[in-house]
Amino acid sequence: MKRQRAKENQPIRLKRLLCFWFTLVPLLTAQNTATASSAPGSGETFVDATQRLGVNFRYQASHTSRKYLLETMGAGVALFDYDNDGRLDMYLVNGAPLSDPTPKGTVPQKTDSQYWNRLYHQKADGTFEDVTEKASLEGTGYGMGVAVGDYDNDGFEDLYVTAYGGNKLYHNNRNGTFTDVTQKAGVGGGGWSTSAAWVDLDRDGFLDLLVLRYLDWDFDDVWCGEHKQGYRAYCHPDYFKPISPLVFHNNKDGTFTEVAQKIGLGKAGKGLGIAIADYDRDGHIDFFVANDSMVEFLYHNKGDGTFEDFGLASEVAVDTDGRTYAGMGVDFADYNNDGWPDIVVTDLANQRYALYQNNGDGSFSYSSNTAGIGQMTMAHSGWGVRFFDYDNDGWKDLLIAQGHDLDTIELNFPNLHYREPMLLARNTGRGFVDVSAQSGNIFRQGWVSRGMAMGDLDNDGRLDAVVTTNDGKIHVLHNETVTRNHWMLLKLVGHNSNRDAIGAEVKLVTASGPQYATVSTASSYLSASDKRVHFGLGQESTAQRIEIRWPSGIRQTLKDIPADQILQIDEPATSSTSPKP
Amino acid sequence: MKGRRANTGSWLPLVVVLFLCGFRGSAQSSGAFDRGLAEFRAGNYPSAAALFTDAEAASPGATDALLYQAKSLVHLQDFAGAERALRSYVLSHRDSADALYMLGFVLHRENRPAESLASYTQAAAITRPTADDLKIVGLDYVLLADYADAIKWLEKAATLDETNQDVWYYLGRAYYSKARFLEARKAFLKILELDPHNVRAENNLGLIFESSGEPAAAIDAYRRAIAWQEQTLRPSEQPYVNLGNLLMEQGQTKEAIEPLEKAVALAPNNAFCRLTLGVYYRKVGQMEGAQRELERATQLEPDNAVAHYQLGRLYKEIHALDRAQAEFDRTAELQTRAAGSQSARPNH
Repeated sequence: MKRQRAKENQPIRLKRLLCFWFTLVPLLTAQNTATASSAPGSGETFVDATQRLGVNFRYQASHTSRKYLLETMGAGVALFDYDNDGRLDMYLVNGAPLSDPTPKGTVPQKTDSQYWNRLYHQKADGTFEDVTEKASLEGTGYGMGVAVGDYDNDGFEDLYVTAYGGNKLYHNNRNGTFTDVTQKAGVGGGGWSTSAAWVDLDRDGFLDLLVLRYLDWDFDDVWCGEHKQGYRAYCHPDYFKPISPLVFHNNKDGTFTEVAQKIGLGKAGKGLGIAIADYDRDGHIDFFVANDSMVEFLYHNKGDGTFEDFGLASEVAVDTDGRTYAGMGVDFADYNNDGWPDIVVTDLANQRYALYQNNGDGSFSYSSNTAGIGQMTMAHSGWGVRFFDYDNDGWKDLLIAQGHDLDTIELNFPNLHYREPMLLARNTGRGFVDVSAQSGNIFRQGWVSRGMAMGDLDNDGRLDAVVTTNDGKIHVLHNETVTRNHWMLLKLVGHNSNRDAIGAEVKLVTASGPQYATVSTASSYLSASDKRVHFGLGQESTAQRIEIRWPSGIRQTLKDIPADQILQIDEPATSSTSPKP
Repeated sequence: MKGRRANTGSWLPLVVVLFLCGFRGSAQSSGAFDRGLAEFRAGNYPSAAALFTDAEAASPGATDALLYQAKSLVHLQDFAGAERALRSYVLSHRDSADALYMLGFVLHRENRPAESLASYTQAAAITRPTADDLKIVGLDYVLLADYADAIKWLEKAATLDETNQDVWYYLGRAYYSKARFLEARKAFLKILELDPHNVRAENNLGLIFESSGEPAAAIDAYRRAIAWQEQTLRPSEQPYVNLGNLLMEQGQTKEAIEPLEKAVALAPNNAFCRLTLGVYYRKVGQMEGAQRELERATQLEPDNAVAHYQLGRLYKEIHALDRAQAEFDRTAELQTRAAGSQSARPNH
């Protein structure tokens, strides 16, 4: 039905070109791909399409008897279009072999192809092919996360891959290959890096790079858990000291300068997740850091290139009782359509995932319990998380990758589980309802899920997801929700702003009301998602207005845009309002 | 577990008295020693301890003066002194199970569970442990965060003496800590079988109901516990604060105030009770009361990060922004100190 609807909206042409930089180009209508919806009425909202799509990847965690914490934390996945063919490709981060024991000071290295990171290219028929070697993206070290951004504004997405012991920046050569430019760029870092985010911190039109680090950690042979056979467990992060993040300022010449201390971001944390949004709508992008078992950070951009942590003062640093929790994944988006970005943070069982509703005055209210999230997540442990509108009804729902970090958890807590099914929480407009049980078979399978990226793999207007599992295979979750609801997918192209338009704020208004989103590739856990902004429009077939505040400060308004299309919007040279297309 | 809940089960109350009641001492005669015993029996522990010191000095090793000196010092909460006396005694009485069991107990109170367990192991090789000895062994494992072994030994203690309410209580608490709610419930029900109006057991049943997502049953349990202790001389603040907290969480704001105020009246120096009442006052807009209670909570427990955070929120709401920031800074400092505070045990 939706494909039918999409076909009715044939590509539209701009009646006139307003200026060189302002183009409004509908890229695609829904494609008739091999992965199209197939089971209307079956109740299978998401279907595991991994095998069918030709993706065969297994994350090698290299578990040892020593229970090195590193083993249970990975890894990430990226969904991005590296060759600009309009179809999302996939990059998967992999581990490395660990000896048992591993000597202190070791920086693990990939020894053979089973440990390679993998780049999967999406072909025209919707299936994927492994192009890792051709692209020179095998990677090095024990990988953790991945961030996607076009740091040199050449129109091709580059990759930053985090790992234990040092990170890599891969420049996209625009021909299907990448070059390791880490050394020249000066962004190798060190220690245990986790999630990273590309974002233009100082609005100079070039993406800077935020890199979280987890712990001051080494391969020490430390016994945690009960001292008996089979009970050895991964150590709690309280056993290790926090460590400061790395912040690389883009020098616009292919090199970067580390500036964390200089701009107020040098505070030590136990960072695992990062997400960006302008939470006070002052025109400067802010960001949230999910720390494990210590206070969470909410960094406010002071507008002069420096930052200050307002986590406690904004009441997002702890839960409603004032207690810290094991922050892991995070997303930062407006789920209640009031114009103010809200925050969701995943954590461990018995803690409840934290949902903070933005009050619009610089503070947040802990809303896990009132919004229904608290009760449904009490017994679960979450990692990758995204606000997204899976059924295109105009309300952002939640998909959460779950599984405990301790493979011994059931020995001591029989009611908790190492392997857990995914959680799908539907936003009814009045709160969230757990709809996992009626959303398909994948929600009954126990996985040790970690990273999760989201994007519209088949460009059908329904968001799909890719989930990694620790020491297991990945899962490509194809969205097969049966719905007549309309949608819009916006690809923003910056010109004064960074090319990816990361940080741009989009307001879409239909007859049913407004919705808001921020352009970003970062959020979730260790992962990078489709940079295109997705909106579900419900029964509305037209967006009355699309208002964009570009990172440069330029404002742009488009009017009366038909739904069910993928629309490229270029940043104009000056603030503007478009005529009807 | 529900860390925000009142600590209904300190692991250590009554153990001193119980241990000393069951002490397996023997006595010999000497002037100072006899006078020491008389003082000890009269409850004059400082003078008893001094007399036992004299007796030992006058006739080293001739009496059990060191043992009784240790016993007196335990009454005086001088565990370091008791340990010194016991270690001296054991040097000349290597096969004294009494001394070794007592040393195990003293080391437990000194928060040295591994050494305590070593002493209990030595003692048990000489004389079979009692249920109370095994209880302390179980509590040693609790201190080591080894709940599996704690439960093992507490279960053995319960088997040894099915009427020992303390053992059932600690066993119930251990199960609760591991979210084994069904077994915890059985343990507390066993106490209620032995003592049908046991307030502590009923209060813990309330916690179990709460953790199991049965708030109505929890509220009933707390209310029963409160009713049972109404006529007692020393009612506990615990069921009151737990009831008030839960009612507040359930949105029954009006009903929450009475038990929360009662809890503070019963335990004015309990920071958790003050904190909970302060949060309540803040939520209902009684800012003066909130400020008083939250400030008192931070005075009672200066290192309580949660109390500082809640006080910061209160200051923020009444627009005392400098003071709010100071409280948030203090919270951050305490939380940062806590993150990375645990010491790891190398695998040797």
